[in-house]
Amino acid sequence: MAWITKNSGTMQIETREEPYLDDELKAEIEANIIPRYPDRRAATLPTLHAVQHKVGWLPTQALKEIADFLGSAPSEVMDTATFYEEYWLKPKGKYVIWLCQSISCELMGRDTIMSKIKAKLNIEPGETTEDGKFTLMNVECLGSCGTAPCGLVNEKLHENMTVDNIDQILDSLE
Amino acid sequence: MALQEPVLTKRIPTPPFGDFSQRKLNSYEDFVATGGYAALKKAIDMQPSEIIDIMKASELRGRGGAGFPAGVKWSFLPPQDGKPRYLAVNSDESEPGTFKDRMLLDFDPHILLEGIAICMRACQLDTTYIYIRGEYHHQAKVLNKAIDEAYANNIFGPNSIMGKINDREPRCFVHRGAGAYICGEETALLNSLEGKRGWPRIKPPFPAVAGAFGRPTIINNVETLAMCGPIIDKGVDWFKTMGVARPDGVPPHVPASYGPKLIGVSGHVNRPGVYEENLGITVREMIEKYCGGMRNGKKFKSCVPGGIAMGVLSTDQIDAPLDFDIGKKFGCLGLGTAGVIVMDEDTDMVAVARNIVRFFSHESCGQCTPCREGSNWVYKTLCRIEEGNGTTADLDLLLEVSGSQGAMPGTTICGLADGTNWAIKTILNKFWSDFESRVSVSTIAGYSLPVLA
Ligand SMILES: Cc1cc2nc3c(=O)[nH]c(=O)nc-3n(C[C@H](O)[C@H](O)[C@H](O)COP(=O)(O)O)c2cc1C
Ligand code: SF4
Ligand code: FES
Repeated sequence: MAWITKNSGTMQIETREEPYLDDELKAEIEANIIPRYPDRRAATLPTLHAVQHKVGWLPTQALKEIADFLGSAPSEVMDTATFYEEYWLKPKGKYVIWLCQSISCELMGRDTIMSKIKAKLNIEPGETTEDGKFTLMNVECLGSCGTAPCGLVNEKLHENMTVDNIDQILDSLE
Repeated sequence: MALQEPVLTKRIPTPPFGDFSQRKLNSYEDFVATGGYAALKKAIDMQPSEIIDIMKASELRGRGGAGFPAGVKWSFLPPQDGKPRYLAVNSDESEPGTFKDRMLLDFDPHILLEGIAICMRACQLDTTYIYIRGEYHHQAKVLNKAIDEAYANNIFGPNSIMGKINDREPRCFVHRGAGAYICGEETALLNSLEGKRGWPRIKPPFPAVAGAFGRPTIINNVETLAMCGPIIDKGVDWFKTMGVARPDGVPPHVPASYGPKLIGVSGHVNRPGVYEENLGITVREMIEKYCGGMRNGKKFKSCVPGGIAMGVLSTDQIDAPLDFDIGKKFGCLGLGTAGVIVMDEDTDMVAVARNIVRFFSHESCGQCTPCREGSNWVYKTLCRIEEGNGTTADLDLLLEVSGSQGAMPGTTICGLADGTNWAIKTILNKFWSDFESRVSVSTIAGYSLPVLA
């Protein structure tokens, strides 16, 4: 829910010496992304994507670095990053399982698949397994309703999921 | 009359003309070998205003949900003033039941790029951003590759066959979203493009006047733009042989439902998928002729005509034609995206309502109180009814709370809340007994609906 406010006022910010948005990534974004837009702030979403792709999630320090890089206020980057569900402001598992919960998938039996995954991984939606391998999420329509029920595992879409093939899907992940 | 030859699915095998299993990605070469970019060459030989006149005459209506005539929208742009002008392509496709744009992106990305180029030339727009939803990882890659091919073949770029547009080199980029349904709303999309949270803007100003980065911007759906090439190529008369004409006596400024349409069918049918048919095909024909009938031989109970925001059809409305007049004639919001979700006789409509409202409550951007609070309130009430703890007073409350939100009662900035409103209103009114049988009679004085016999 995009409009839930986060307790950022009293939050402790962990920092580290080494930047998340390093010179190499900066150079790449400067060369390939920035020239596309009439102002730097428009590169906020692509830059957040790029940093998250490299780091795995978006630490607060990284948001500050992105703000400095784009000439935005840190609060502006924070404002954007907290709005979108794909941005992780806390660490996630190596594999994120996003199971669609919208109407076509529910009609086609996504609940039994969710129960199966929950039992197999012993976690609830929103949680990560203790070994850090899997994070389980409910997600709204993935735009693949004709092959419901479906889910994404990281960037890969799995269609026509069944209680049987979910075993194979999960077991095949290293 | 059924569609005589595939138009948007010309290169995407689709029953009855082809088989789903034969679908594959069409490269630039494949596209050109089958007549692609011929329409763009034609458009280059025309004056921009001529192209807009053709689009206006075709009466092509937007395929993204609202059905606004594309040519009319294009003619709203102010005169050029030397500064940039943009095209934002709406590829956010997140409305449950909608998966048609994805098919075009998966298999025939150049049909979109050709439409984009035609629109850029017609409207003198120098830069295009294709706003694609974050979850379409694969489609974003396919699109980026197709754009590279298009640059390499001088569709876009410094040596574009279109020359300079608005005194600039024509450029086209993919801009990825990050998981927010609301960014499909056109002004939320613009904010998201600008790097901000996806909050819809109050209109006016309309995007054609002050859109992306404060500049004139045209926003069109993927399917709308994909249709431009075939219209320029084959002409208005050809386009108007398909779909539903204006009935006699209706004045010419009222747009009709011409042309073919991608119709995505999901839910309880034997062969779900994206099909192409003339506007005006009935739900029954879609299910029986294309989708192999109802799954497990069950009976039809209800369907969503075009994305959940449109509400539902009742059991006896199975012969409703899928055209832009469906809303007026069959008591739903409209055709929407023509993403048809079919439900069989065993479907629990209370659960359907709960699922749909959970979606809108989850995706509300939070700016307007009736939408943010109302949808959550309605969701909780529906959960209560589903669990067996509802009363007749809850049914009153559902109608009152959902009915007082939306851009159409005029209490919210954008149309998302209308989805909550119409979904509840239509499900409750058309399947009243499903709800009534689940609630006990309210004991709260003065707030009880008489239980209908
Ligand atoms: C809440 C909401 C979500 C929307 N989502 C989409 C979408 O995902 N894709 C789309 O093309 N249009 C969507 N629209 C409609 C757009 O605002 C806009 O009307 C459309 O993109 C215009 O293009 P068209 O005229 O070619 O249809 C949405 C509208 C609302 C109110
Ligand atoms: S109606 Fe809902 S989604 Fe639309 S602007 Fe208002 S709060 Fe946001
Ligand atoms: S409802 Fe699950 S993909 Fe659309």
